[in-house]
Amino acid sequence: MNDILRLSLPLTVWLAAFSALYGLHGVLCSPRWDEAALGLAAGRGVLGLAGLLAVAAQVALLLALRSGRFASPSGFVRATSVGLSVVALVATLWTLIPVAATSTCL
Amino acid sequence: MNALQRHRALTRIWASEPGWTGWLTTVNHNDLGRMFLVAAATFFGIGGLLAMLIRAQLASPRSAFMGPEVYNQVFTMHGTIMMFLFAIPLFEGLTVYLLPKMLGTRDLAFPRLGAYGFWCYVFGGSMLVLSLLAGVAPDSGWFMYPPLSSSLGSPGINSDVWLIGITFVEISAISAAVEVVVTILRYRAPGMSLDRMPIFAWYMLVVAVMILTGFPPMILGSILLELERAFGMPFFQVAEGGDSLLWQHLFWLFGHPEVYIIFLPAAGVVSTILPVMARRTLMGYGWIVGAAVSLGVLSFGLWVHHMFTTGIPHMGLAFFSAASTLVAVPTAVQIFAWIGTLWTGRPQLRLPMLWILAFFATFVIGGLTGVMVAVVPFDWQVHDTHFVVAHLHYVLVGGFVFPMLAAIYYWLPHMTGRRRFFRLGETAFWLIVVGFHVTFLAVHWVGLLGQRRRTETYEPGQGWEIINLVSSIGGFVTAIGFGLVLVDVVVNAAVAIRGSRDPWGAGTLEWAMPTPPPAYNFASLPEVRGRDPLYDDPDLPVRIARGEGFLGTPRGNLRETLTVDVASGRAAHHVVLPGNTALPIVMALVTGGAFVGMLLKLYWLVPLAALGVIILAIRWVWTLGSRTDLGPQDVGRGLALPAAPEVEDPPGWWGTLFLLIADATLFGSLLFGYAFLWTVAPNWPPPAYLEPGALMPALAGAGALLAVLGPRVAERGLRRSGQAGAGLGLTLAGAVGAAVAAGLAIRGAADPQAHAYDATVWVLGGYVLFHAVLLALMVGVLGARAWAGFLSPLRYGELRILRLWADYGAAATVLGLAAAGLPGALT
Amino acid sequence: MSVVHPAGPAAATIATLWWVLLAGAVAIFGLVMGLLALAFRPRESTGGDRVWIVGLGLVFPLAVLGSLLAYGLVVGERLLPREAPDLVTVRAEGRQWAWSFSYADAPDRVTEGVLHIPAGRPVDVEITTVDVIHSFWVPRLAGKLDAIPGHVNRLRIEAWAPGEYAGVSSEYSGPGYREHVFTVRAHDAEGWSAFLAGGTP
Ligand code: HEM
Ligand SMILES: [Cu+2]
Repeated sequence: MNDILRLSLPLTVWLAAFSALYGLHGVLCSPRWDEAALGLAAGRGVLGLAGLLAVAAQVALLLALRSGRFASPSGFVRATSVGLSVVALVATLWTLIPVAATSTCL
Repeated sequence: MNALQRHRALTRIWASEPGWTGWLTTVNHNDLGRMFLVAAATFFGIGGLLAMLIRAQLASPRSAFMGPEVYNQVFTMHGTIMMFLFAIPLFEGLTVYLLPKMLGTRDLAFPRLGAYGFWCYVFGGSMLVLSLLAGVAPDSGWFMYPPLSSSLGSPGINSDVWLIGITFVEISAISAAVEVVVTILRYRAPGMSLDRMPIFAWYMLVVAVMILTGFPPMILGSILLELERAFGMPFFQVAEGGDSLLWQHLFWLFGHPEVYIIFLPAAGVVSTILPVMARRTLMGYGWIVGAAVSLGVLSFGLWVHHMFTTGIPHMGLAFFSAASTLVAVPTAVQIFAWIGTLWTGRPQLRLPMLWILAFFATFVIGGLTGVMVAVVPFDWQVHDTHFVVAHLHYVLVGGFVFPMLAAIYYWLPHMTGRRRFFRLGETAFWLIVVGFHVTFLAVHWVGLLGQRRRTETYEPGQGWEIINLVSSIGGFVTAIGFGLVLVDVVVNAAVAIRGSRDPWGAGTLEWAMPTPPPAYNFASLPEVRGRDPLYDDPDLPVRIARGEGFLGTPRGNLRETLTVDVASGRAAHHVVLPGNTALPIVMALVTGGAFVGMLLKLYWLVPLAALGVIILAIRWVWTLGSRTDLGPQDVGRGLALPAAPEVEDPPGWWGTLFLLIADATLFGSLLFGYAFLWTVAPNWPPPAYLEPGALMPALAGAGALLAVLGPRVAERGLRRSGQAGAGLGLTLAGAVGAAVAAGLAIRGAADPQAHAYDATVWVLGGYVLFHAVLLALMVGVLGARAWAGFLSPLRYGELRILRLWADYGAAATVLGLAAAGLPGALT
Repeated sequence: MSVVHPAGPAAATIATLWWVLLAGAVAIFGLVMGLLALAFRPRESTGGDRVWIVGLGLVFPLAVLGSLLAYGLVVGERLLPREAPDLVTVRAEGRQWAWSFSYADAPDRVTEGVLHIPAGRPVDVEITTVDVIHSFWVPRLAGKLDAIPGHVNRLRIEAWAPGEYAGVSSEYSGPGYREHVFTVRAHDAEGWSAFLAGGTP
């Protein structure tokens, strides 16, 4: 079971972060954010911060899966879980591109 | 005991009853797999017939063959049947049939659950087809967007048929998924560690987990929409605080993963067959496992690409455009690993390989047009045109139907024990492949010329006539090809000459048995030392038949098998599986009663049917377990293993764990929907929030606490002094507390028809109430079982199952009621 | 009705995008089919995991998809309804099965089934519906955008030249869906003034 977790955790964290970011963006562009009167620039800052957090989480996972303490005893699972962790890190960076590249609420 | 005597003894134990009743009472995966395949093929025939009607209608402009009322039912049912009644059940059937054989075990983990799922599928599917014959079939398109599908746009029964029928059918997807996950994780041949699993098992593990997390959002959506239609709870009605976009999110949260749920089994088939055809082993096994897992998870982050035109801000769309392009990478990894396998092997052009080549040629086009529609501005143009129709058929037919045809021809000798003799297959191949591309290639273009999907006809003079005519002709050619496949399969199954045991020279365990396979698969369970046991040891089949593996000595009437440790594959427990019974089909019928009651608005039938299901479920569990301590069981080869009733994680515990994952996804979707309405729906906040007061939170908290403590106390008591009563009592008290708290929440909310918020509180409360009642029932049953002697200091595994449910129920109570009550407490 | 015969800047940008996509797709399809065919020639076995999986499976698609994503996002940004000096705003309201249009510059004019716009000027269409979901689509001018109950979506369109352009609803809406169509009539400057002044168009 632990091996199954090692294999599935990094990408699941990507999915959670990705959905959270999308949800956050939804809030920023909703009437609720207007009511809070914080402005869109602040909103973009929040998005960037959340993105940074997601990247940090992925890096931490990657390091953990390679470390002596959390790595799997099975060579196959170790290699595959580290590989999937790299995939999750790349996916996190890749899906963060829009935060930098697109306008916030148009 | 010689091989023949062993064969006779095992057959007596594992075979279905003789005569036609055998089909109704069988729980054996050999039968159920075939039944699934035949049923799915039948639905494919019906769906295909509808496709022909569509193409006949579209062949010429201003066609008067069908009016919009009929056409709308026809395309909706075509899509619905193909997706829910054909594609998913077909690969389920293949999996049910193959998986235990590939894994080196005798049956799936929960045989009766598999049978129950099958019958739910058949009954639910029949409901849908009957509605078509009665002319009241669903007609809002296969994704059923409200308000069109809700009371406003469809006052008739049509939408109810879809919502209720499909939910009924989905019981089978969920139960098959639970069964497949637990089988792959625990029911393998000893020695089969994770990295020695056949690649198909990896794919199916991913698929099954995807079903458990992908289907619940849609099941929830269907429940909410049916509540709106039947009782006016306005989840999707904007005037009362709902939002029609919520449905689109819930549907596509399911709908996109669904596409990969359909594709991945096909990819698993390709990964299995292609190396055999290339006479080498698969290139990059680890890479492929990684790609399959990546695809599985990434596909959950794509759903909004079906909603690019709904007015979501560009950055929101861009997230999903990015994810949608990224998902092509693991697909590319697989494609090139397959081509690399061919390059480094010595490929042969036999019929399954031909189908795989057709898969490549077709699926790659579908993938490329998929990347095109992932580019937001391009999708703004082609969304809802025939370009998308062409794209989705390239993916579904190229990426699913063609590999499944490869699978049929590859495993047909296994199912029939015969060699293909008549050569209609090649003719059929060319008819289907050429016919398919003639049908759909130019349809991309007519989409770009502006032809919308779901329109029943068109005016001449826009350059659409020729393309549509050609497409229709191609469609009929394709259909003739499928007819030939049917003839070919039936003829070759019935009268062809007997073949050899391993005709393709494959290395996986399903070929280590006589064909057609005996009901028990393996006369004894082999010890596995590599990924391709038959390459490692060509004599393996003989040694299995001679009983040199585990469990080679049949005992009494017991369907014996064993489980392994998840990661290492070391033999772990001894399991006795249940035998033939009519319980699954009866239970499916009674379950159907509840669905029919809902559909026909005979609401008195629903509680009656629920009661029936409860009684049958109690009967179901009563046959499990043991009333005496068994001690370690001799499984042969000098090994003794603990018996399943005497371990802390019996198969039922694993099944419960994965069922709860599905349950939690459903609950998560509900919370998501709540948050979504909160932020996006125009008419929020509601006129008033629920006032939680002090009693409701106190009861909820105390109930949750007791529910968490109870099973633990019960287990301590049982293991120390053989008494579980006190702990069970605590659990019951916890369940009652949670139930009362949920009841208070529901009573405190306003009229559920007034505002989506109130309706949501009702559903949250109902969800908690349901789990509390379920927990109370379980406590009752366990109390009775303790009294009847099923529990002992050694046999405490059932309390662990109760503990899972109790912990989950407690968490749901706290979260659900907090979500309902917090806004009122804060304002 | 044709996406590949654009009559305005947005549709033209997307048409170009399509031709680029098509060229790329044909090239990649040719590559994959070529590699597949070559697997069947008699030869020594070639290439290890590295070439096939890392090179062709990872690096190649990441490069292609990265540039494609960037292209798509840039195009998407260009088509958004941003502030513009000579912007015209109109409103489109869908129902089963008709469209009515109203005009910010002529508050009491409502037209049924025909949307009037000035040619050569950016126009924002505010799209909504009173019953089920519809979608506003004029293929030769721009992409489509849905009309969702309770929401107002904003779409930027523009016609290069005066003329009539076919529009359709492109979200399935029940039995009358096929005939749920409208026309966009683009006027030259005088025609547009006349329309706003209340002249019969
Ligand atoms: C030769 C076989 C087939 C033909 C000729 C065919 C034809 C069509 C056509 C013309 C449409 C568009 C109807 C419209 O929008 O007006 C359609 C829709 C659809 N087809 Fe097929 N089809 C075939 C096989 C399949 C298969 C095998 C699947 C799935 C596994 C499938 C799934 C769908 C779906 C999901 C839709 C969308 C339905 C909707 O818009 O609600 N089709 N088909
Ligand atoms: Cu999708």
